[in-house]
Amino acid sequence: MVEPHHDHDHDHEGHDHPHAEIAEAGRPGYYDIMETAVRELLIERKMIRADEIRRQIEVIDSRTPALGAKVVARAWVDPRFKARLLANGRTACEELGISFYDDTELIVLENTPEVHNLIVCTLCSCYPRPVLGLPPDWYKLKPYRARAVSEPRAVLAEFGTEISQDVEIRVSDSTAMVRYLVLPMRPDGTDSYSEQQLADLVTRDAMIGVIPVQLQGE
Amino acid sequence: MTDTQHLVSRLPNDIGGLPSETVQRIDHELEPWEKRCHALADVLDFHKIINTEEKRCGVEALGSEMVGKLSYYERWIVAFANILFRKGILTPTELALKMKEVEERWSHVGNDS
Repeated sequence: MVEPHHDHDHDHEGHDHPHAEIAEAGRPGYYDIMETAVRELLIERKMIRADEIRRQIEVIDSRTPALGAKVVARAWVDPRFKARLLANGRTACEELGISFYDDTELIVLENTPEVHNLIVCTLCSCYPRPVLGLPPDWYKLKPYRARAVSEPRAVLAEFGTEISQDVEIRVSDSTAMVRYLVLPMRPDGTDSYSEQQLADLVTRDAMIGVIPVQLQGE
Repeated sequence: MTDTQHLVSRLPNDIGGLPSETVQRIDHELEPWEKRCHALADVLDFHKIINTEEKRCGVEALGSEMVGKLSYYERWIVAFANILFRKGILTPTELALKMKEVEERWSHVGNDS
């Protein structure tokens, strides 16, 4: 993206963009300076430590959809793990060494031939970050948040996903404390796949529920 | 419905079910300050200085104009500052002075480079 102010709700015209202007000259923008100032003041007051921020940046960088894909592939090959995952998403992920650095609950929603799940956060951007990393911008912007709950089939169609009319679509709205992860259906023709090969098929968008898991090249 | 009823029944964040445009599948790599801001949010939550729900309410309290015009992490850092003022942890003057100090570290960098 070229546009630095990606996240405005389509309301660009006629406003000052101090951040963009100053950033062009290599100087931090207003909000960048505000972040540094707030952080340094809290460090000076010994309420937080600089190394905690550095460490948390490393944690953020370490969380990618590959972790969620590992969980999904394990659930596909191990029915007992799957049962534990559906009973308690958080403790099952922790079994695989995925720590939860926040105090959120994780509910895993299984897609079946009868039910297709979709996750959203209508109020803001709550997302299963310990297992998927940070959400994509479209997940945080108005069109997805507003419409996923009222016209999920139309939203899915915009991702190229057509769900049969006889399949129920369930949309789960995340909160600060409760996060969701979709367990997609295992594609046909993967009986001979190893667990790692299965994990390689599983994408972030499939675990949000906007697309199915597909064989490569499909 | 009166002209203002929707302002009462829906706060700025409460957009679920409203009409909106086609989903554009956009994404971007976080800028360094945005990632620091995210890490700061997590650390503030760990220490129970500002939890996730307080952050969300703090963003909502910015009002619809700022929610509409500021970018995602711009909203977060402004909300954090306001919450810290309200809790008596920082004062606006302290933040203004610190921001001036931070800005002056960059005074050697020209505006026309």
